[in-house]
Amino acid sequence: MNKRVLAIGLAVTLPLLGLLLVNIDRNPTEIASPLIRRPAPDVLLQKLEGDGSLQVSSLRGRPAVVNFWATWCIPCVQEHASLTSGARSNPDVSFLGVVYEDSAENARGFLATRGSAYPSYVDEDGRAAIAFGVYGVPETFFIDARGTVVDKFVGPLDERTLREKLAAARR
Amino acid sequence: MTASIGRGLVLLSLLCATAGTVAAFAAFWKKRADLTTLAVRAAYGFSASMALANLWMVAALLRNDFSISYVAQVGSVSLPTWVKVVSLWSSLEGSILFWGGVLAIYIAIATRSLNAAHGWARPAAIGAWLACATFFGFLIAGPAQPFATVVDVPADGPGPNPLLQNHVLMAIHPPFLYGGYVGMTIPFGLALAALLSGGLSPTLLGTIRTSLLAPWTFLTCAVVLGGWWAYEVLGWGGYWAWDPVENASLLPWLTATAALHSAILTERRGVLKGWTMSLVIASFLLTILGTFMTRSGIFNSVHSFTQSSIGPTILVFLGIATLVSVLLLGFRVDLLKPDGELDRGASRDTAFLAQNLLFVLFTFTVLIGTVFPLIVEAVRNVQMSVGRPYFDRMTIPIGALLLFVMGVGPALPWGSTSREDLKRRLLPPLGLGTAALAVSLAFGVRSPWTLVTLFFAGYAAHVTIFEAFRPARNRMKFRKDGFFKAFSQDLFGPGLRRLAAYIAHAGAVTAFIAIAVSSTRATSVERSLKQGEEMTLGRYTLTFEGIESTEETNRTSLIARIGVRKDGTAVEPLRPMMNQYRSQRESIGTPAVRTGLVEDLYLSAMSIDPDGQTVGLLVLINPLVSWLWIATVVMAVGGLLALLSSGRVGRTIEAARDLQAEPVR
Repeated sequence: MNKRVLAIGLAVTLPLLGLLLVNIDRNPTEIASPLIRRPAPDVLLQKLEGDGSLQVSSLRGRPAVVNFWATWCIPCVQEHASLTSGARSNPDVSFLGVVYEDSAENARGFLATRGSAYPSYVDEDGRAAIAFGVYGVPETFFIDARGTVVDKFVGPLDERTLREKLAAARR
Repeated sequence: MTASIGRGLVLLSLLCATAGTVAAFAAFWKKRADLTTLAVRAAYGFSASMALANLWMVAALLRNDFSISYVAQVGSVSLPTWVKVVSLWSSLEGSILFWGGVLAIYIAIATRSLNAAHGWARPAAIGAWLACATFFGFLIAGPAQPFATVVDVPADGPGPNPLLQNHVLMAIHPPFLYGGYVGMTIPFGLALAALLSGGLSPTLLGTIRTSLLAPWTFLTCAVVLGGWWAYEVLGWGGYWAWDPVENASLLPWLTATAALHSAILTERRGVLKGWTMSLVIASFLLTILGTFMTRSGIFNSVHSFTQSSIGPTILVFLGIATLVSVLLLGFRVDLLKPDGELDRGASRDTAFLAQNLLFVLFTFTVLIGTVFPLIVEAVRNVQMSVGRPYFDRMTIPIGALLLFVMGVGPALPWGSTSREDLKRRLLPPLGLGTAALAVSLAFGVRSPWTLVTLFFAGYAAHVTIFEAFRPARNRMKFRKDGFFKAFSQDLFGPGLRRLAAYIAHAGAVTAFIAIAVSSTRATSVERSLKQGEEMTLGRYTLTFEGIESTEETNRTSLIARIGVRKDGTAVEPLRPMMNQYRSQRESIGTPAVRTGLVEDLYLSAMSIDPDGQTVGLLVLINPLVSWLWIATVVMAVGGLLALLSSGRVGRTIEAARDLQAEPVR
């Protein structure tokens, strides 16, 4: 046995392996939002289908999931099924979609063919997107019952991630 | 049905690999030849079934069989045939299957090339290869599963990532990269076999060297093809950005280059056996690290695949392979006893040693720069990135020293010599070095590192050319042969290996010059032009003539037509584009490059406004960039010739030694 070779080998490789291990969940595209642990911006949204509007502050009392999406965005199409089934299996959570830089007509057509389990809203002049600091779509904000943003997710949501983030919003 | 045939082939290959691993190691421990035969058959069984699984997937892609999940994910009826074929490696699951396919070819060839002369290292090596094959078989059968059955079979699929369709280089870059990455498995298995069997015979060492040459040649091409793709597609005007994934391909190349050189020292002097094995093993582990970096999604890069569950599985494999390697080295390396001694004077031995240390230093420099953001984030929880300034500052001096060693090393004799002899060897090349320096100064080069690099490059060029033709010159002098006869003996005889090495060196010197000049002597300007407006940079006058647009099935493109006059003479106009892909929001530019041997004119459209009839242009004049591509071809030819020569050398090692011995002066 050559103790020196063994010691050098372990000294070089173990820290590197450890470093990769602690970073395994790292997602460099996840950009920290300044909104986290702050009240959700109180914007007024117009309903996509039918008349009526929604003041975001009126969601307080229940956890909420706000998903910014568009029909031209492929990851949004991918995550649509997870969000729909998430909304169905979590009736205690308010889900809402906000159409981002897209026409209401496109969005209505999309929901008509793909189905929906929660209301979507039109964001006129992109005011809500600016208030939430949306960088691109899809972006999803998780708001707790007190109206505080607890988490933000960039990119297509899968069901597992959705469950984990919802658990944080319920706390 | 077709999906289950694919799954069956993958499972069969996994079964063969697992059974073969067990049989091979049992054969090694129990010294049983019958089990070795069984392991060899299992290796061929793995290769055949994995290769068939790949062909099955290609057939499914060509037939638009959307009942297979991978085809449903990346295939599309409307794709051209070549895109359908290259879709095999366009996405994560398929690329892992393709890895298995390349491994199948390598294992079949390597298993065939081992013979009785390798002794009990033969089953040990086959065992190590099949252990790696078992892991990849498991990865394909489990986490990756490209052959999952689709229940609701769609009528059409989305087609592969648009970036893959943006340039034909994306079709050829991955096979080269895999040829390099996957091929490192073979020398790795042989190195483990040497440690396990406790001996490194000349035969085994020769096989390790040969098995390194093939992936080294592929990887050399792959590293540069990646840079070429970035240059032709990404539009920022350069070919290397020290991006984590670029670094991932460079790291194993650095250690493999070091290993190829230290193997020569081991072969000649019988020393540094453990060191050579460590470099071979490190090359393999770095390919797995690179794969983890691209597949896990923990690094932000223009080249990486998206986040996936395959990452953690690869990390487990990396951990196991690393620990097994380190433990084997620690416990068995002392069995690889040296048969000779290293000369410690001003000799080629010392140059080889210096070269090796510099390459290892280079490797650590790049590795630390690449993982440093992870360290900072783990400790301080802030995001950061390590950019060009660090890498340039650290690697330029190391590179310059390597070039120095590449010049001086081959000029030095094996073993010690007299002062007069040293002077006779080392002084003449100063001529070409000084000439290179003078030319650079005349062209206005003032940056100290560029001057140093070009001086060393001139010196190394002299030594390389002189050494490449020395055996032929000696034959012409002493045997009065004509040049062609004298030179063809090198080309068609065992001297080819020596010649191949100098061809690779010639390529490397050229690459150094191209990199030094192109990275410090480029001129660039950013301008917004209205229609009809002109601008001038260097010898070029550019006129924005107008906007065209094209519509394809997958994208719409806006094209700025730029008229080009060089020294007042109109040449072919250039057409930089902005492409809007259906599946992406951000548009992707395609630069237009006028390639020349002296300089490239590089136009990249930053924005094209069809309403205002304006274009935002990035214009660069990049000198000598083409020479980097030429240099790579030369290096690859060197690698191929060395590979070709290794068979001959194996048969006539003694003859080769005689030819390489110092001739009478």
